[in-house]
Formats: sequence, C-alpha cells, structure tokens
Amino acid sequence: MRDSRRTRRRVLQTAAAGSLAGLAGCQGLIGGNSDDESVTIPELATFRGSGAIIEGRPAPGGTSIEDLPDLSGELNLYIGGGEGGIYYRFVEMLQEIYPDFTVYESSAASSSLAQNIVEEVESGAPQADVFWSIDASSLGYVADNDAYDPLGDTVVEPVPSGFQGDDNAWVGVAGRARSVPYNTDQLDESDVPATVREFPTTASFPNTVGWAPTYGAFKSFVTAMRLLRGPDPTRDWLVAMRENGAQRFPDEFVVSQRVADGTIPVGFANHYYALRVKNQRPDAPLDLAFTSGDAGALVNVAGALKIQGTQKSDLVDLFVRHLLSAEAQEFFATVSFAYPMIPGVEPVGDLPTIDELSPPDIDLSALSNLEETLEIMREAGVPG
Amino acid sequence: MSVGDRLTSLPDRVADDTAVGTGLTLLAAALAAALVVPLGWLFVDVLGLGGRAIDLATSATTLAVLARSVALVAVVTAGSVLVGVPLAVLTVQADIPFKRFWTVLAALPLAVPSYLGAFAVVSATGQDGVLVNALRPLGVETIPTIDGFTGAALVLTVYTYPYVFLTTRASLLSLDASLVEAARTLNSGRWEAFRRVTLPQILPGVAAGALLVALYTLSDFGTPNIMHVEVFTQFIYARYTGFMRDYAALLSLQLLAVTAVILAVESRIGADDSGAYASSGNRGALSIRLGRLRYPLLLLPLLVGATAILLPVVVFALWLTSGGPGYAGGSMAFSWTYGWNSLYVAFLAAVASVLVALPIALRSAASDSRLAALADRAPYAGYAAPGIVLAIALVSFSLDAAPAFYKTLPLLVFAYVVRFVPQAIGSMRTSALQVDRTLVEAARTLGRSRFGAFRSVTLPLIAPGIVTGAALVFLTTMKELPATLILRPLGFDTLVTYIWRVEEAGLYGRAALPALVLVVVSGLSMAVILAQEDTGDGDTNE
Repeated sequence: MRDSRRTRRRVLQTAAAGSLAGLAGCQGLIGGNSDDESVTIPELATFRGSGAIIEGRPAPGGTSIEDLPDLSGELNLYIGGGEGGIYYRFVEMLQEIYPDFTVYESSAASSSLAQNIVEEVESGAPQADVFWSIDASSLGYVADNDAYDPLGDTVVEPVPSGFQGDDNAWVGVAGRARSVPYNTDQLDESDVPATVREFPTTASFPNTVGWAPTYGAFKSFVTAMRLLRGPDPTRDWLVAMRENGAQRFPDEFVVSQRVADGTIPVGFANHYYALRVKNQRPDAPLDLAFTSGDAGALVNVAGALKIQGTQKSDLVDLFVRHLLSAEAQEFFATVSFAYPMIPGVEPVGDLPTIDELSPPDIDLSALSNLEETLEIMREAGVPG
Repeated sequence: MSVGDRLTSLPDRVADDTAVGTGLTLLAAALAAALVVPLGWLFVDVLGLGGRAIDLATSATTLAVLARSVALVAVVTAGSVLVGVPLAVLTVQADIPFKRFWTVLAALPLAVPSYLGAFAVVSATGQDGVLVNALRPLGVETIPTIDGFTGAALVLTVYTYPYVFLTTRASLLSLDASLVEAARTLNSGRWEAFRRVTLPQILPGVAAGALLVALYTLSDFGTPNIMHVEVFTQFIYARYTGFMRDYAALLSLQLLAVTAVILAVESRIGADDSGAYASSGNRGALSIRLGRLRYPLLLLPLLVGATAILLPVVVFALWLTSGGPGYAGGSMAFSWTYGWNSLYVAFLAAVASVLVALPIALRSAASDSRLAALADRAPYAGYAAPGIVLAIALVSFSLDAAPAFYKTLPLLVFAYVVRFVPQAIGSMRTSALQVDRTLVEAARTLGRSRFGAFRSVTLPLIAPGIVTGAALVFLTTMKELPATLILRPLGFDTLVTYIWRVEEAGLYGRAALPALVLVVVSGLSMAVILAQEDTGDGDTNE
C-alpha cells in the first residue's frame, strides 16, 4: 500500500512541473469547489455527543465546515494514542463526508511519534504529512528540532496565541485542564485549597487525596511544578503528599469515579474524566474545582503540526482548518469533553471558559523534558 | 528446541561435505547473520550517550528495576515448573480418564496472549470488577484488585507454564520406560525411581521449557504494563516514548545481557535434542496408578484452565453483550480488516520463517561443522531479544541503513522472522534428525536426483516439523504486541494493536470482539500443533 503511495508521490512530483495547476485542481487543493454535489455536510447533531450534560447547548459559533473548501486526496496522519482515539473518530467522519478524501493513520504515544518524526525527517524518510499530537510537549519537541513546516496564517488565526507554537509551528485544536474533582456530599468548593501547595496540609482530608502518578498528564503536571518552583520544593511536595496518605490509582478516570463513589473525597485529574462520569451518572455528587496560577491549573492542548517536507502542504492546512471548524470544535467539546480552542464554542457543563481559568505562565513545549521529573518522582517514593 | 545445545557435535550423519553442503552451510550462516546484525545497531544509538552511559547503566534506579525484573523471572519460572511438570506427569503417565481432553486443556492457556489475561484479571477483580458484580448477590462485597508484582507473577505463570508442560511432556513421551522398570526391579521405590531415572531424563525438557518461560517473562511488555509493575521492558518503553531514546537503547543492551545470562544458565542444565513440541517417539510410557487420588488431582488442570481460559472469555463475552465500560459516543469501531491484517502478517511470517529455517535446520541436523552449529544458535539472539528491544533496533537500523524499508510490511515480517524463526528451526531440526539417511541414500541409488530424493523422502518425513514450526510462528506472530506497535506500516492495524489502542483510550468494551477472535484463532493454531504431536509420536497412551 505504502509503496504505491510512494510511487504516486513521485509521479506527482514529476508531473507537477508540467501541469501544476491542473493536478492541484484534480486533487482539490485549490479552494472554492465546495459546491460539489457529491458532498453533503451532515447537520450539527451528528457532531454532538449525547448524554445529560450535552442537552440544550447553543449552536456553536465559528467557521462551519460548509464554508470551507472540500477535502480531497490522500493524507498520511500520525495521531497520538489514548485520547487520540476519540479525535480520530472525527477524521472518520471527514472521510464519510468527503468521498475523495482518504486518511492513512498511524497511532502511537504522541511522544513516540514526535521522536519518530524527528528521526524520519533527519533520515529523509518522513512517513506522515500531519502530526496530531494529544499534548503540547510532543509538538514542542518536533518544533524545537525543526522538523515542521509552518502552518498557514489563516489556519492558526482563530486560536488564542497561548495555544500556538512560535512561527506557526503548531496550533492547538482541543484543550484539557488539570482539575480537582471533589465529592459534593463530603466537601464544599471552599474546602478545596486554591493552590496545590496547600494540599498536604489541608486538615479536612488527610489520607484521602486520589492520584495516578503513572498517568502522562500527571507527569506533565509534576514537570510544570518543577519548572515553576524548582526540583527541591517539588520533591518535598510529593513526599508530603505521600506521607499524608495520598492514594494511588491506575488512571485518572478511576480517580474521578472513586471521588463520585465517595471512596475518596478529592483527587487530581484531567477535567474531562469527571465529565465522563457525570455524563454516565448525572446524579453523582461530583464537581470540579480549579487551582489558580500554579501547576495544578495547567492547560495542555492537543494540536496539529505540518511535517517538514510534506508534498501536501495545502491539504494539511485545509485539514487543520477543518479541525478548527465549528462542527469539529463542538465534537471535541461534547464527545471528548475537551476545551474548545475557538471562541464561540462553549465548553460543556458549567465549566469555566478557557479565559476564566488561570493557567501558570509556562512554555508548554518545555513539558517534554521528563527525565528529571521521573527522577524526582522516584526519589520522592512516587514512581511514575 | 533447546537453546543450550552443547557445542559437542551431533553424530556424524553424513560423510560427504560436498559443495552443496558447504553452500547450504554458508546460506544458513548468512541468514543467521542477517537476523542478528540489526541488534548491533543498538550500540550505535548508545554512542550518543557518551560517558553518561555508565552512570545511567549503574544508577540505583536502573539496578532496582533490574532486580525487580530478575525477581519476576525467577518467581514465574519456578511457578511454571511447579504447575507444568506435575501436569505433564499427570497427562502422560497417570491413569486419568479423558487424557486427551486434559492435555488440550492444560496446553490451551498458551493460546491466550498474557496481556489479554492480565486485562481480564484486572477488570474482573477490584471494587468494580466483573467478578465482584457477579458475586454480589452471594454477599461478596469486595475482591482485592489483583495487580502489581503479585498480579503480574500470577498471570504470567498461568499463561506461560504450558511451555514447561509441553516440553516436559515431549520428554516423558520419549522416555525409555524399561529403564524405570529396571530401577523398580532393583528395588527402588517409586519416588526413588522417579528421582534417579525419570528426572535426569526429563530435566533437559523441563529446562528447555523453563528457558522459554524465563525469556517470555523477561521480554513481556503488555502484562507488566497493565499490572502497573515497573520491569525492564516497561522502563525501556517509558524512556523510548519519553524523549530518551538513547537511554532506551542502553537499557535494551542491558536487557540483552540479562538474557545472555539466562541462556548460559540453561546451557549448563543440558541439551535436549527431542525438541520442545515434537516428541521423538513413545517407547512405552509407564502408567502411574493413582486410585482415588486421580479425581482430586484433576482439580489442578481444571483450576488453571478455568482461570486462564474461562475468566477472559467470560469477561470479554460480558462486555460484548453489555457494551462494556467506556462512555457514550466513544469511537474506534472494530473492523474485520484488523483480523485479516493479523492473519496476513502471521501467514507471511510463518512462510518466511519456514523458508529461512529450512536450510538452517537441515544443515544443523546433517553437519557437525562449527559454522552450522553457529548458524543454528545465532538466531536465538533474536528470539531472546524482547520485541520492544528488537523494534527499537530495527527503527534505528532501517532509518540509518535502509530508509526505504522503514515501517513497511517487509520490515515488520522481517522482525517477526528474527523474533520467532528459532521456533521453526527447533521443531524442523527435530524432525530432520529423525530422517533415516539410508532411505535418502536408497532413493539416490534408485536414480532419484538430489532434489528428487529430498522431495520424495525427506520432505514427507519432516513435514510434521514444518507444520508445527509454521504454526508456532503463526501463533506467536498473531499475539506479538510491542514490535507490531512500533514497526507497523501507516494505517495498518492488527487485532493486537487495535486492542492496545482501545485499551489506552479506556474503551475496554471495544476490546471484547477482537480479543475473542484472537483467542479462537490462537486456539486453532494450538490444535494444529497438538495434532502434529499426535502424528509425530503415534500416541498410544490414550
């Protein structure tokens, strides 16, 4: 399969010299042909998730898919594992909408793909045209190693600058916030400290904070703390948490479920896990608190990056514009419960909007430096 | 399939070392070399670390993980011997009813990938587990979650003891019963006879099985990962994915060193030419009369079978019918393409392995030259190399040396051949050793060409070995996870990579169907292997 694509790519390169415009037209790379009768954009409801907390949402603002040129041609996509599975569903929907559009995907851990991209570009054997990472550190790694081509200005324009890479290297398409799920039968929001620093010494819940140290997002959180406060305070905090009896769980979905069950009153988890629990069990006594201005309020993003040397630069741009369309953002917000990246699309439930959060001032790309974080976690007796 | 075949030469079966023979030896050696060279690329990666390499290799962290890995290997190997050997004795020598059934039941856990078992065990136990929910009406409120070191040891033992069971069984089937009877005549008690006569004869078989268990445990990635116990493979994977690839390469080399130690230990226990799966004939298995004891003893295979087979099948079937845990609007629908992809690569790997193994096995059986012995043994480096290590080496190797092959189907199949060809060599060599050279010579005398003689005499005789070898490679390829995960071509998903993806995304329910398909297909390949055992030894003890 790949060989035929490589051949195809070579043919395209050769032919391009003679009839660039004609070929690009066939490939649908030149915009303005969205009136093609074979394409019908499904109604909004198709893009929405279902469940109690989704009902009654306003129509999303932003650019609709209908207003974008049609996608056509073949695209090789590297997509991060885990949450990327939900995002890929949207890619499947795009392929259903556009019969001439085919995506070949490869899914693995985002960080693993990022390193592959850098090695592949260095060896002159890039495999993919576009990288859809589920975290900013992997995007930053590719950007720092100059293995990207900048995205078009119109592509990144709708997204706040804090969720873009320098030089249009990447753009965020969905956000996730660190949060503090708590059990509303056992605690009031005012019981939850405003900073993570106060957690080990808060008298109302000794022995009962749930966390998942092996989970990637937790390691990013510790990395953020290390970058903000330095290694020694971070190690001390981990030790204090451990000695105060923090309970270890395999992942943050479980942490959120246990908080809803009342097994533990409070925990650390990405915000969307609590929303998943709520969507299944609308009556669960579960709510989210957010710390302020520290590592506990980190907002990380899934984002897209154009891989250096792709022959399909325009198609990648158009693809990413689709990811930032009103429908896509509504999909990410209501199916994966991610933070939308464009104004005009609201996060689900009664989440604060993204500008109401106070994330720490930190370069998200720097989160890729995990080695020291893992060492600190180990020294603190909290192996990740 | 003893890895530790001593360098002592096999009986000189052929006098002629003609040009053809030498050519075959060289071919075998070249194939073996091609299988081993990519591993050398790890050294290239490690060079990037410079002087830090030694600090990292000897850091307290590394050593702690190393100790944990070694402990897990020791516990699982011991556990497998404790389960596998009695089961082998029970099914070969004891007068139990429905022997065939118990034999198949005892071997069947090998058909279930251990990470699926781990997945099922983790999901079944604990507060929200399937098992607890099922037992709640009976007043059971909680079952502790089985995970961590204990969980991994338990699951790995349950799914790997069949290696010991099968190799021990093969040894027992080829045991010369008259020796044991002689010992009994000479007034040795039953236990004394077992210890002095049977044990020394089956020890190489037990050791060969234990070696496979140890190597599997050391190289397994999925089970420790799901059980959340930090062993070497997981440690490597975390660094591989955590922007520390040269560190991962360094750790890979350390893991290979541990593997070498295990191989060395096994080689001291002894050689076993009878092979792991094909037995070399049954010269009268003696019968142990158990009396009333035989029914309680059947609890052992029953218990193990229920844990290893029934639990995952029930868990996955429940998910299949109830939709399983996950959340509304989840994606990643299962496609039968994944199943076809699995079958396709497994088939390619099996065919390629047979083609590679044939010259090596034939040469090794027919020649006592050092080169042939080396060619026979060298591929075990690939077999011993954990999938994740091999994948890391092949990524580096292909990107540096052959970018055109990077993440292509040929490279993936190559990885499988490197990993699994020794299984084919082992079973084929066993068959080849049993070919009576005089028959071939007779055919030659009667005017057949060399190739004609091979086709009409040798090939039919070694066919069961070829089928067993191919089935083993097929089975292990179907189950292989880490190398598939890293090396598969863009857009190419198999059953295991799909299961891995949905597991990572928390959509456990989606894993049910592919897991069941995988278990059924693996079960069928196991049936093929066991059927070959039948035709091989003309099983008379039913």
